[in-house]
Amino acid sequence: MLGVGEQFPAFSLTATVSIDKGKAFQPITGKDYQGKWKVYFFWPKDFTFVCPTEIAAFGKLNHEFQDRDAQVLGGSTDSEFVHLAWRQHHADLKDLPFPMLADIKRELCAALGILDPKEGVAQRATFVVDPENIIRFVSVNDLSVGRNPQEVLRVLDALQTDELCPCNWQKGDAVLKV
Amino acid sequence: MELEQLLESCPEYAKDLKLNMGSVLRQTEMTERQTWGTAVCSAVASRNPRVLEAVLAEASRHLDEPALFAAKAAAAVMGMNNIFYRFRHLSGNEKYGTMPARLRMQVIRTHGSDPVDFELWCLAVSAINGCGVCVESHEKVLREKGVGEDTILAAVRIASVVHALAAVMDAVTA
Repeated sequence: MLGVGEQFPAFSLTATVSIDKGKAFQPITGKDYQGKWKVYFFWPKDFTFVCPTEIAAFGKLNHEFQDRDAQVLGGSTDSEFVHLAWRQHHADLKDLPFPMLADIKRELCAALGILDPKEGVAQRATFVVDPENIIRFVSVNDLSVGRNPQEVLRVLDALQTDELCPCNWQKGDAVLKV
Repeated sequence: MELEQLLESCPEYAKDLKLNMGSVLRQTEMTERQTWGTAVCSAVASRNPRVLEAVLAEASRHLDEPALFAAKAAAAVMGMNNIFYRFRHLSGNEKYGTMPARLRMQVIRTHGSDPVDFELWCLAVSAINGCGVCVESHEKVLREKGVGEDTILAAVRIASVVHALAAVMDAVTA
């Protein structure tokens, strides 16, 4: 599995972005969202138990992520049509404010190293990626355990909270160059 | 209210300030951008709405949106940092220097304006808010970036006068 400090892999996938006919699908690549942080989170399968609660929870926090210049992107190895059907079917997912990536060829998940060896689907992995496309946080849960999106937000906040001001200069230190 | 009107409304006991305001804004040691950005961030830091309104009215004729944004951002972020880092210094307990601040200050990186100008504005605000370690460190950074003492002092003059004016205007409205 890829770790902190490594480049997030390049990818080009179809994503389901809404339940409106004609506007449901959108191609998304790793090069979109220039200058933003990205929060990628993967789940094993659409239409299962744990996933909708988590996904909806990320959805409710979406504006907090946006405020921190972070784009949330969900994903699984399901096709964009399955994503669409799930969003139409599940009340909590209808207005999901972020895209669901369809990694149907499993290329991205394989490159990330998050395919479950037994089940062949994505594990519950979360990646926080900075604007230079470097992975800054990785977390994986076993298939049956949900994530806490508040924790991901806390980590993002912490990652963005560098002490950039020369005011924290201690006597004897080299002066900070920003 | 325009700056000229505000200055006309200055009470007699503050006549020095009225005249100083004119001269410090005409100093030649700073660029036009540095001058007006310093006036803006100082006005924000000095907390009198009428002074702020008047300074902004004039400054917007000399500064583009990004510079206005950055000047206000300097006042915003230094308003926080001046208190926080001043505490660390005043407490005399070095342990605080090893504890993470956990305070977002991203605008120091993302203000989008000239870094030297921004640094000058941060210094002006630090002078107003009275954080010794902040003044010392920002002054050092400015000189490392090639800014002379004459430019730095010019900025501090503006900060001083704007701050004084704000106090007077508080008294006048009271």
